Amino acid sequence: MKRRSALVAALVAMVAAVVAVVATSATAKSSAPAAASSASRSLVSCKRGATIGLAAPITGPAASLGQPQRRWARFFVTRWNAKHKKFKITMTEGDTQLPNVAEATKVAQSFASNSKILGVVGPAGSQEVVATTPILKGAGLAYVSGSATRTTLTDGSRSGFFFRVVPPDAVQGPTVARFIVNKLKKKNVLIIDDQETYSTGLAADAEGTLKNLGATVSRDSVSQQASDFSALISRIPGSVQVVYIPWQLPPKAQLFAQQMREQGKRQILLSSDGTFDPTTYKPAQEAYASNFPVSAKSPLIASYKRSHGGQPDFFGAPTYAAAQTVATAVAKACANGSASRAEVRANIRKSNIPPAASVIGLRIKFTARGDLNGGRFGLFKVTNGNYTPVG
Amino acid sequence: MNLRLVRGRTADVLFYAGIAAVVALLLKEALTNPGHWSLFFQLAVDGVTLGSVYALIAIGYSMVYGILKLLNFAHGDVYMVGAFIGYGILTLFGGAANWTIPVWLLVALMFGASMLGSGFLGVVIERFAYRPLRDAPRLAPLISALGVSFFLQNSALLLLGAQFRAYPFGLIGQGGVSIRTVFISATRIFVIAGAVVLMIVLTVFVRRSRLGKAMRATSYDREAAMMMGIDADRVIASTFFIGSALAGAAGVMFGLVFTEIFHFMGFTAGLKGFTAAVVGGIGSIPGAMLGGLLIGLGEAYATGYVSSTYQDLIVFSILIFVILVRPSGLLGTAAVQKV
Amino acid sequence: MEHGGEISPVPATPGDAAHTRIGVDDWVAEAEERQRGRGPLVRTVAAIPRPIQIVVFIAVLSLLPFVFSEGNLFRYGLFTLIYALLALGLNVSVGFAGLLDLGFIAFYGFGAYAYAILASPKYGIHWQAEIAIPVVMVGAAFLGLLLGLPSRRLLGDYLAIVTLFFGQAFVVFVNAANPKGLTGGANGIANVDPLNFFGFKLTTTRHYYWFTLIAFLLVIGALYFISESRTGRAWRSLREDPLAAEVMGMPVNRLKIMAFMFGAAIAGLTGTIFAANQTGVFPGDFDISILITIYAVMILGGLGSLIGMFIGAAVINVSYELLSGSNPNPSLGRWLFYLALITVVIARIRPWIRVAVVLAGTVAFGFAVHAIVHALEPSATSGAVTNGGSLSGVMSHWTVIPAHSGASAKYAYVGLVAAVLVLTLIKGWWRAIALIPVLYLASFVWENLLSEQPAVTRLIVFGAMLIALMAARPQGLLGTSRVEIA
Repeated sequence: MKRRSALVAALVAMVAAVVAVVATSATAKSSAPAAASSASRSLVSCKRGATIGLAAPITGPAASLGQPQRRWARFFVTRWNAKHKKFKITMTEGDTQLPNVAEATKVAQSFASNSKILGVVGPAGSQEVVATTPILKGAGLAYVSGSATRTTLTDGSRSGFFFRVVPPDAVQGPTVARFIVNKLKKKNVLIIDDQETYSTGLAADAEGTLKNLGATVSRDSVSQQASDFSALISRIPGSVQVVYIPWQLPPKAQLFAQQMREQGKRQILLSSDGTFDPTTYKPAQEAYASNFPVSAKSPLIASYKRSHGGQPDFFGAPTYAAAQTVATAVAKACANGSASRAEVRANIRKSNIPPAASVIGLRIKFTARGDLNGGRFGLFKVTNGNYTPVG
Repeated sequence: MNLRLVRGRTADVLFYAGIAAVVALLLKEALTNPGHWSLFFQLAVDGVTLGSVYALIAIGYSMVYGILKLLNFAHGDVYMVGAFIGYGILTLFGGAANWTIPVWLLVALMFGASMLGSGFLGVVIERFAYRPLRDAPRLAPLISALGVSFFLQNSALLLLGAQFRAYPFGLIGQGGVSIRTVFISATRIFVIAGAVVLMIVLTVFVRRSRLGKAMRATSYDREAAMMMGIDADRVIASTFFIGSALAGAAGVMFGLVFTEIFHFMGFTAGLKGFTAAVVGGIGSIPGAMLGGLLIGLGEAYATGYVSSTYQDLIVFSILIFVILVRPSGLLGTAAVQKV
Repeated sequence: MEHGGEISPVPATPGDAAHTRIGVDDWVAEAEERQRGRGPLVRTVAAIPRPIQIVVFIAVLSLLPFVFSEGNLFRYGLFTLIYALLALGLNVSVGFAGLLDLGFIAFYGFGAYAYAILASPKYGIHWQAEIAIPVVMVGAAFLGLLLGLPSRRLLGDYLAIVTLFFGQAFVVFVNAANPKGLTGGANGIANVDPLNFFGFKLTTTRHYYWFTLIAFLLVIGALYFISESRTGRAWRSLREDPLAAEVMGMPVNRLKIMAFMFGAAIAGLTGTIFAANQTGVFPGDFDISILITIYAVMILGGLGSLIGMFIGAAVINVSYELLSGSNPNPSLGRWLFYLALITVVIARIRPWIRVAVVLAGTVAFGFAVHAIVHALEPSATSGAVTNGGSLSGVMSHWTVIPAHSGASAKYAYVGLVAAVLVLTLIKGWWRAIALIPVLYLASFVWENLLSEQPAVTRLIVFGAMLIALMAARPQGLLGTSRVEIA
C-alpha cells in the first residue's frame, strides 16, 4: 500500500509539472507564429544548387500512381542537372502512402522543418493537399501538385501557396459531359466512380453538367481495390448508352473494358486522364478518354520512353511539369546566391513556361488562386492503344 | 461453456430461417429484375469464378490454422508471389502477346512453376519465421506473419516495380459456352474446373494418404501425434507446402481470369480468404471451399442486385449472421474447450 | 508499471524450461526464464526505485519539445504518443482480457469523425474540447458496448472476424456509404477546429505533444490502477482461462463488455487528438494498415504491459521514421544500415576473437573484391554513390558499384535474403567465416538497390525487424505473461 501511494504521489506531481510547463509555454506562444513566418522569410544560401521536396505515394496500395510520378520527377532532375552544371537540383523524396493521410502530414512536417527545402512537388491526392495545407503554409512553402484535381482546393484559402499543373475537375467533368451530349448525342449515362477523391469529384462534376444538359444519369461505385467487375457489368441495363469510368488506374479500366466485351455489353466507354495510358488501356470497343492536351509525339515524352523501357507513364507527366515549375522558380530566386521560401512562392506565382517546354501541352501560368490559366481538357478517341484527339 | 449466442434449437431455427430468407430474396430479385433469370445465372457464373479463387486461398489458411492454430497473414502475399511466378513463366516464353510454345504447355508450366515456387516459399516462411515460435505465445507468430507480409509485398515492389502486370485476356481461348443468354468464357470454365480438380485431389490426399492422415492427427493433437511417432515438423512443413501451392495456383487462376496483378493484390485477397476460412469453419478443408464459394457468390449477388458500393457490407453482414448462429462456422467442429 | 512482476512464480523443476512440457504451465516457465534471462541493462534499470524511474521518464518526455524541431517533434514525439495511446487501449481488450479485437481502429476513427462533426465548419458546430472530449469518449464507449453485446459469447478467431468486419464496415460507412453527406465520403471533413479548452487553443505541435503526453500519463495511470484492481485481476483471470473464470462465478460477459468499452473510450480520445491535430479526417487514416501498426506496437511492447506500449510505440515509430527517405540528411539511412550490421555482428557473434576476424575479414574482402573487379572490368566500379554523405568516399572504394547495376542488384538482393536465412542455420566458426561475404553482399545490395528506394527499403527492413524481434523475444520487449486465446 505504501508503494502505491508513492506512485500516486509521483504521478500526480509529474502531471502537475507537465501542466505547468504547458502553461508557461502557452504564455510564450506568441513566438510560434513568428517562427513560422521567419521560416518563410529566412534566406538559404544556394549558390551551387538547391533542394526541393517530392511528396508522392511511393509505396502502399497507390504505389502504381506514385512511382510514375517519382520517375517523371527524377527524370526532370536528371535532365536539369545535365543541363545546368552550375546549379544542381537535389530532390528529397517523401513517401505519403496514399490513402493514409497521416503519412502525408509526417512528410510535410519533415519538409517544413528542413530549412534546405525551398519548394515542394506534390502532394498527389486532394485529401493530402487539404491535410498538409496548415503545415506547408505555416512553413511558408509553395507546393505544386501534378494530380490533385478537386475543384475546391483553389477556393482562395491556399492562394499563393498551393498551385497545380492539372486543370481541376470543374473543367474536366463538364468537358466530358458536353462531349457525351453534344458530340456523341447520347442521353443515358452510367457513372461508376472508384471511391477515391479523384474519382468521386470528377463523377460529381460530370453528373451535374449531364443533368443540366438533360441526360439521364445513374450512379454506382466500386472500390479501387476491386479486381473483378463482372457482376457490376452483368447488371448494366441495355438502356444505358454510355458508361463513364473516371478512374485512376488504367489496368482496372482495361479489365473493365475486357469484361464488358466478354459479356457482350456494347455501351460506349468514357474515361478520364487517370486512365490515359496507351500501353495499358487499349479497349477494343468504342472508347474515349479525356486528358490535358498532351502530345504523345513530343520529344520529351519520346525521350522519357526511351529511358524507361517504352513506358510513357502519362499519369506522372504533370509531376515533371510541377518539378519544372518549382525548380525554375528556385533557380530564379537563387540567382543572387541565396533564396527564401517566400521568394520561391512569388516566382512560382509568376511562372511562365511555354507549352512546348512543359510536357503537358499547356502553358504553365497560374491564376491568383493557383490554377492554370486557360487549363483545358481535350477528348481522345481510343482505338487499340492509339489516342487521337477528337475535340 | 456454451459458445452460442443463441442456443440450441433457436439457433437452428434462425439458421434455416436465414437461409430461407436469402433464397427468397434472391428469388424475388431474380423474378423482378429486368434481366430475370439470365442475370441470375450470369451472376452465379461471376460468383463461382471468384469463389473458386477465394476457396483455394482459404484452404491454405484453414490447413495452417488447423495444424498450428496460427493465422498466417502472409498467405495472401504467397498468393501474390504465385501470380507473379506464373507471369514470369509467361514472359520467359515470349511474353503476354506472342507466346512461343503451345498454350496447354504454357499453362501447365505456369501452374507447375507457380505451385512449386509458392509451396517452397511457404516452407521457407514456416522454417524461418514460424518454427522458432512454435511454443511462443499465440500472438507472437501473428506479428511474424505481418512481418513476412510486409517483407514479401515490398520485396515484390522493389524487384518488380509498382506497375500492374497483365496476363493476356483469354489465354485459354477467346470463345466459351453460351447457354441461352448466359455466357461462360473458356477461361472461367477452365478456372472453375481446375479449382474443383485441385480440391478433389486434396480431399483424397488428406483422407487416404499416410501424410494426409498424419496431418489430421497432428491437427487434432500435436503432442499426442508426436508421441505416436509422427514427425510433427515434417507434417507442418508439408502442410505449408500444400497450402501455399494451392495459393500459388489461385494466383495463376486469378491472373488468367482477371488479368491484372500487382504487388498489393495479396492483401485484399488474403482478407477474403481468411473470412472464407472462418465462415466455413476454420480448420476444416471442405468448410474453406464452401466459405470461399459463399463469399464469391455473396459478392456477385450483392453487386448485381443491390450495389457494388455496399458489396462488402452486405457480404460481411451475412457472414456475421452465420457466425452468430453457427459460432464454429458452417462445417467446423464445435469448439470444445479443454478443461 | 510492469504488472505481474510481483507475483512470485511457483517453482518448477529446474532445467526443463527448454523442452516442450505437457502439463506445466507455460506462464510459470516464462516467469522463470524471465528471472534468469535479464541482461545487465535491464537489471540496472530495475534496480532504480520505481518513483525515480517514473520521474525521469516523464521529465525526459516533457522536455523533448525543447530539443526537437517542430517537424521532428511531430514525427517522432507526437506519433509515438498517439501509437502508444492506441496500443494502451487495445491492450485492455487484448492484453488484459484476452479478446482478439481486430475492429479496434473503428473506435479511433469514430473518435476522430465524432470530433470532426462536433467541431468544424461542416455543420457550423464548434464545441469546446472540454465538452467534446468526454462526449466523444462516452460515445466511443457506447459503441464498444454495441460491439461487445453480440461478441460476448464469441471466442478467439470468431470474435476476431466479427470485429474485423466492424472495422471494415466503419471504413465503408464513412467512405462509400456516407449517409446524407455526414462523413464527407472520400473527401473527409476538413478544417476541423483545434482543441479548445476554455478558450485556450492548442495551435502548435508542442501544444499537441504536451496535451497528448498528459493524456497518455493519465490513461497509463488509470490503467495501472484498474489493472491492479478487482476488475483488472478479473480480466486477467478471464484471459488466462475463461472457463475457470466463469466457474469461479465471475461475470464473464460484463467483464468482456467492460474491456471493450474501456479500450474504445481510450481510442476515442486518441482519435479526437488526431483529428484536431491533423485538422481533418479522411477514411484512409482508419484502414487496416494502422491496425497492423498498433498490433505490432502492442505485441512488440509486450501484451499486458503498460510501459511496454510506450516502448513498443517508440521502437516502431522512431525506427520507421528514421528510415524515411524524407529525412533532411539522406545519408542517415546509410549510417544506420552499417551501424546495424556491425551491431548485429557484435551482438550475435562470440567470442570476441571471431568478431574481430569477421570485421577485419570483411574489410579486407571488400578491398580485394573491389580491386579484382576493377582490374577485370573498370566500368563495374565506376558508378556514383547515391545520396552521398560522409561515408560515400570510403564506400566507393570498397563496394562494387557498377555504373548501371541493372538486374545484378536484384539478383544480389534475392541472394542476400537466401544467404541470411542459411546463416541462421550454421554455427560456430563456419558462421563467422560465411558472414564475411554475406556482409559484403549486404553492402553491395544497399549501395546498388536499397539506397535508391528508401521508401520501399524501410518497409522491407520493418518487416524483417518484426520477424527477427519476434524470434528473439516472442513475449515482446516487456512482456511478462502469456495470452492464450482458445
